[in-house]
Amino acid sequence: MSAAIQTTRLTKTYGEKRALDAVDLVIEEGSIFGFLGPNGAGKTTTLRILTGLARATSGSVQILGHDVALAGNDVRADIGFLPDVPGFYEWMSADELLRFAGRLFGIGGAVLDERVAMLLNLAGLGDVKTKIGGYSRGMKQRLGVAQALVNAPKLLLLDEPTSALDPMGRKDVLDMLTSLRGRTTVFFSTHILADVERVCDTVAILDRGRVVTQAPIDELKARYGVQKVVIEVTDGGDELAQAIGRQKWATAVARGPDGAIEITVTDVGTAQREIPAMVAARNTGMSRMEAGEVGLEEVFVELVGGEQR
Amino acid sequence: MNGFVVFAAKEVREILRTWRIWVLPGILLFFALTGPVLARYTPEIVGALAGSQLGGLKLPTPTYLDSYTQWVKNLSQIALFALIIIYGSIISAETRNGTAVLVLTKPVSRAAFVIAKASVHSVFLAVLVVMGTLLTWGLTAAVFGKAPGSALWSSAMVWLVFGVLFISLMTLLSVLIGSAAGAAGAGLGIYALVSIASIWKPLGSYSPAALATQPASLAAGKDAAVLWPVLTSLLLAVVLVAFAAQAFRRKDL
Repeated sequence: MSAAIQTTRLTKTYGEKRALDAVDLVIEEGSIFGFLGPNGAGKTTTLRILTGLARATSGSVQILGHDVALAGNDVRADIGFLPDVPGFYEWMSADELLRFAGRLFGIGGAVLDERVAMLLNLAGLGDVKTKIGGYSRGMKQRLGVAQALVNAPKLLLLDEPTSALDPMGRKDVLDMLTSLRGRTTVFFSTHILADVERVCDTVAILDRGRVVTQAPIDELKARYGVQKVVIEVTDGGDELAQAIGRQKWATAVARGPDGAIEITVTDVGTAQREIPAMVAARNTGMSRMEAGEVGLEEVFVELVGGEQR
Repeated sequence: MNGFVVFAAKEVREILRTWRIWVLPGILLFFALTGPVLARYTPEIVGALAGSQLGGLKLPTPTYLDSYTQWVKNLSQIALFALIIIYGSIISAETRNGTAVLVLTKPVSRAAFVIAKASVHSVFLAVLVVMGTLLTWGLTAAVFGKAPGSALWSSAMVWLVFGVLFISLMTLLSVLIGSAAGAAGAGLGIYALVSIASIWKPLGSYSPAALATQPASLAAGKDAAVLWPVLTSLLLAVVLVAFAAQAFRRKDL
């Protein structure tokens, strides 16, 4: 399978500030790729370079086999893009905007009619006849997603597509992205971990302009997500937690909101053998013991959250 | 080419459906309607306002040339100032509102974006100047009884070249200066410099600076050698738009 996007040592500086620092990314065709990072990590800068809106200070970007700095209209014809805060001609209606966007791609006639109707329906704007100037932020975001799909793009680039949406709108957008799997390469930036975990097959984590890691989500969890054991005891939880924290196989111990003890472990087998013994030695009852599921959030916090920001 | 045509068509619809259809047309319509009447009745108006203070001073009888001069002076001053202020954001408004991103991530080159805007608004100005001049011509004929067209049309068309030159200039300034007020201020400053430069004979005879004063001379029925200033202005307008396209191509959005 070939790469839809490949960046090589992509660097962008603004004066002294290094917004992107030698970013290497490879996004396979057909994948749904989550580009994750805290605010200010450089996600939007990366997307602006990928779309040709900004120029890299150094390094190169290949999009669908073209060098983005040289390709011009050829590569843009196959891309759909939603910026983080989409701008529209507020005197247009949604229908007019989508027709305008479609015509820029050379689409017309019955194909455009059909596509505009389908996308208006998808965006939940089929019955809205008012001008875009009167839309809520959520409506604009949904219209932004619709216009990004008007050319049936091979590559869909989305910058924080769900950040302005209510839960239903967010679900609709994520379902729509999921439905594109295998047909369109989707690259979307977000700081919402749950969205990435729900729809993405591969993820890169960006922190302060550097790619901290890039891998399939499952591989990432296995690589970075040291396993977790959760136990609940009838009494003496604090003392037990302190004792567990002194064990070599326990790298972190935290108390859950319901009094559970959450232990991050390096060797789950040893933990599963020794924890019941420690509980029994204190003559305490154990009401629950299970291996907790490691989430992307733990990986993210471990990779970017632990350092002083 | 397709992207250019579609974007240019958008620009036309934007003119027709936003404030742009009211402001510059409204200003020119006002001057076209009032200019001939004011020119015809200025002696009476001045006499009524001044009363006996002017003593035996008698103002010359106005002619159709006064009406033409009024129209071209209004174009050269107030209409040009309005044009400079309005077009201070011709490009930057789209970059600021995010609509440039909407368009430029589709198959539209940055050069097409800039050239389409400068072209459509130059044509818009031409339509307004032709309509305003037609109205002035008709009203002048009605008020003065005669209105030979050559002085009026030659002066208006020469001014139109100057107006197109300033649309090109504002296109470049709006690419270089993100603030609409900043670009408009720079445009007004350049207009002041051009007006001063026109006093120096070589510039006042061959360069675009000549067009700051020559339309008024033509409207007054005087001869003026405008071929070189018109040619150099049109050439400069093309060069300015080319620079604007090049500067916009290199700009991070």
